Amino acid sequence: MKITLYAICFFVCIFTSVSVCAGTARIITKENAIREDCRFFAPVKAKVRYSESVEIISGEGDWFRVRYKGISGCIHKSALEEKKFTFSGFTGPQSQAASGDEVALAGKGFNLSVEQSFKKSHPELNYQTVDIIENYSISDDDLRKFMINGGLNQPR
Amino acid sequence: MKILTGILGILLLLSGCSSVQLQDMSQHMGFVTKAATVTQKAARPISDEEEYYIGRAVAARILSIYPLSKDEYPAAYVNLIGKSIAIHSDKPFTYGGYHFAILNSHEKNAFACPGGIIFITKGMFSAVKNEDELAAVLAHEIAHITHRDGISAIQSSRWTEALTIIGSDAMKQYGSQELSQLVHLFEGSIDDVFKTLVVNGYGRSQEYGADETATVLLLKAGYSPEALKDLLARVRGEGGTQAGGMLKTHPATTDRIENISSHMPSGRTDNSLIQKRTARFLKILQYNK
Repeated sequence: MKITLYAICFFVCIFTSVSVCAGTARIITKENAIREDCRFFAPVKAKVRYSESVEIISGEGDWFRVRYKGISGCIHKSALEEKKFTFSGFTGPQSQAASGDEVALAGKGFNLSVEQSFKKSHPELNYQTVDIIENYSISDDDLRKFMINGGLNQPR
Repeated sequence: MKILTGILGILLLLSGCSSVQLQDMSQHMGFVTKAATVTQKAARPISDEEEYYIGRAVAARILSIYPLSKDEYPAAYVNLIGKSIAIHSDKPFTYGGYHFAILNSHEKNAFACPGGIIFITKGMFSAVKNEDELAAVLAHEIAHITHRDGISAIQSSRWTEALTIIGSDAMKQYGSQELSQLVHLFEGSIDDVFKTLVVNGYGRSQEYGADETATVLLLKAGYSPEALKDLLARVRGEGGTQAGGMLKTHPATTDRIENISSHMPSGRTDNSLIQKRTARFLKILQYNK
C-alpha cells in the first residue's frame, strides 16, 4: 500500500517538474540578442525579435540561459516575459498553446495602427525627428571603450 | 485506500480529463463567462510596447515645440553617458531602447518620455560643470522611466475604457469604429503625459523617488552620487528656482537636497576619475553652442 502511494507521488512530481522546466518566454523588446555568456557585451550568437519565443534552460542572476532555434545562449530578464504556466497534465506541449481569444487580441491596443491613425490627424507632430533619434545607435564596442576610458563600472 | 482514491482523483483532474467538463460548463454560462473574461483582460497594465508608442507620441509633441540640436558630438556624448547608466538600471532593455537627445533651448530642463526617449536642453547641458553632473541629470530621467512615472500620469478611467474596447469581440476584427475610439483614447493619454512632463511636473514623491534611484544608479555606474546634490545646490545658489524649466516643475530644491542627503548611498568615487571625465566633458562642451 505504502509503495503504491510513494509511486503515485513520484509520478506526480515527475510530471509537474518536467512541465515547469520546459518553460518558454516571449521577447518583449523590438529586438534583442542571445549572447554567448550571461553578461552585457558578451559576443552575440543570435538576434531575436519582438514576440518570438525562447525556451528557458536556467536562470543566472539577472539573466536567463535560453535555447532559440537550436542555439543556446543568454538573454537579460528585462527583455523577456515568461509565458504563464498552466498545468495540462499529460498533454505536455499543449500547455503553452494560446487560446483563440489571446491570438485574436495579440498586439491589440496602443500599437502601430493606432500611431498611424493618430499621425494622420496630427501632421504638426514631429515624428520624423523621433525616428532620427531612435535610429541613432551606438555599438557595444564604443560603449565599452567609453566606460573604460572614463573609469566607469562595467555591468555584470 | 481512501487516500489512494483521493490522489487518483487529483491526478485525473490535473491531467485535463475533467477540463473537458469544465469547458462544457463554461459554454453554458454564456454571458457571465464573457464578462468575466473581459474583466480579467481589463486588469492588465499598459504593456512595454504600448508604453513605447505613447512615448514616441509625447516625444513628437515635445519636438514640435523645442527643435532638436544638430550638434553631433554632444548628441553622441549624452547617448554614451545615458546608456552607461541605463545598463545598470532594473530595466536595461525597454521595448525600443534608451535614446538621448539635446533640445535647442536655453531653458534648463530635461524630459523623460515613457519607453526610453530622454531629452536634455542645451541650457541644462551648459548648467552642469562636469560629466558626473550631466550623468546625474540623465540618471534622474532614467529613474522616471524605470518607475513608469510618465505612464502613471494617464487617467486610469481612460485606460479602463481602452481595455474595454481592446477586449470586445468587435476588436478581434479591428473595426474602424473601434480603432477611432482607441485613437481618441491614445490622444487623451498623450495629453495626460505631456501636461505632467512639460506643464505641471510629477508629484513630490515621484521626484524624490527619481532622485533616490538616480544616486544609486550613479554609484553603480561609477559616477559620483554627490553630483546630483552638487548640481541642485549650485542652481539653487544661482537663484534657479525662478529660472523656469525643470526647477519650475519640480519640488523645492532645498527639500530635494535634504531628501538626497538623507538617502545618499554609501560608497566613494575616485576623485582622479572625476577629473579625467571632466576633461573629456570640457572638450565636448565647446561643441554645445
